Amino acid sequence: MLQGFYRPRTVAEAATLLAGDPDAKPIAGGATLVAMLNARVIEPAALVSLAAIDEIKGISVMADGRLRIGAFTRHSETAECTLPMGASAVVRHAASEIANATVRNMGTIGGSIAFADPALDYPPALVAAGAEIEIASTQGTRHVAAAEFFLDWYVTALEPGELVTAVLLPAPPDASGRGVYIKHARVAGDYATASVAACLHADGTLRVAVGACGPVPITDDTANALLSGDRSDATIRRAGELLVQHADPLDDVRGSADFRRQLIPRLLLRAVRSVEVPAGGRS
Amino acid sequence: MSLSKHALTLSVNGSPTEVRAGLHDTLLTVLRDQLQCTAAKRGCNQGVCGACTILVDDRPARACLSLAVNSEGADIRTLEGLNDQPDMRLLQQAFAKAGAFQCGFCTPGMLVSAQALLRGKPAPDAQDVRKALSGNLCRCTGYTRIVSAVLDAAAMIRKEPVAP
Repeated sequence: MLQGFYRPRTVAEAATLLAGDPDAKPIAGGATLVAMLNARVIEPAALVSLAAIDEIKGISVMADGRLRIGAFTRHSETAECTLPMGASAVVRHAASEIANATVRNMGTIGGSIAFADPALDYPPALVAAGAEIEIASTQGTRHVAAAEFFLDWYVTALEPGELVTAVLLPAPPDASGRGVYIKHARVAGDYATASVAACLHADGTLRVAVGACGPVPITDDTANALLSGDRSDATIRRAGELLVQHADPLDDVRGSADFRRQLIPRLLLRAVRSVEVPAGGRS
Repeated sequence: MSLSKHALTLSVNGSPTEVRAGLHDTLLTVLRDQLQCTAAKRGCNQGVCGACTILVDDRPARACLSLAVNSEGADIRTLEGLNDQPDMRLLQQAFAKAGAFQCGFCTPGMLVSAQALLRGKPAPDAQDVRKALSGNLCRCTGYTRIVSAVLDAAAMIRKEPVAP
């Protein structure tokens, strides 16, 4: 039964509270957690609100040029970010595709990825961008690559007592790098039936990740190498076949597993063609 | 304990307001059941339908997904507190004129979202309106008249600039 509510002002205080009660859960924007409370699907013993912790809010440029998106940064703020992002703009694009304007005003990047629903928009974008997840606990801070953060359906590398404090995006080495996120959904604002994130760097390297087609975002080193070499229709088809081999999609209300497998090469083609085209103003 | 109530001071429509809320209680519950602010509707209680849309710190938010105990210090505005604003009045007139509702259950949420859109983007096109209202479901109208009402209101507001 929910018996406690805490509103710490620092990450250290939050970590101490979480360490002291294994059944306590952090709450960020609440967009998913409160919906689950309302539906009585979860019943944490206590909630540790992250809403008053200023050190995990907002987007900043770190000393080494990387971008730091604090865990309590709302999707709307990430979607509206005007900092140059290079290929990491895929994360901004994904943020702008989440649900609808009102939910984007509530949900946060940390809450989203800690929940790790495979149909969410951030996971493939973060994997394609080569993001790192910053994690804190009473033991200190550690970093996990996005590709190693998502482990299974709703399972992440977070250990009990840990919380996400930031997402770190690689320094844009190339202002001309580009990133796009292509999502197929039944209607605007729905979760993805399938999605593809693509990051094109100035040196021609292309990295892609597929979302919503298995427990974790799908990547394939050979597919990335092929797409970094040439981007003919035939090569994109071959890369699509490689990615489909890793797919383990569900049959659900958003589409059959088979339909999702057929979406992957099509979304990949759109993502690659779209990331190649210089778009006015979007870096 | 979960069932015991916590004394909170919430800023509702500009006034510090004393309420008592359990840990599970959402802003929607407190607004409707304690403060009689019933413009925000309880539709899905899952953040999907948008009927409970209110403003939190000037941005549209779901009252059903906001815990009351987590809302101290936030500037909470419901349609009751926006009714007197000139742009909201023009929106309401445009909705009435266009017949942009049937049952009316979604209307308060539609109005809050539409006002937020027009304050950020005074001259939207139909696609902008559809996007901005995509988190507000209407099961009666088919949306066509809602979209044209918002476009009509935008034109009226532009002619008659209002101080927020």
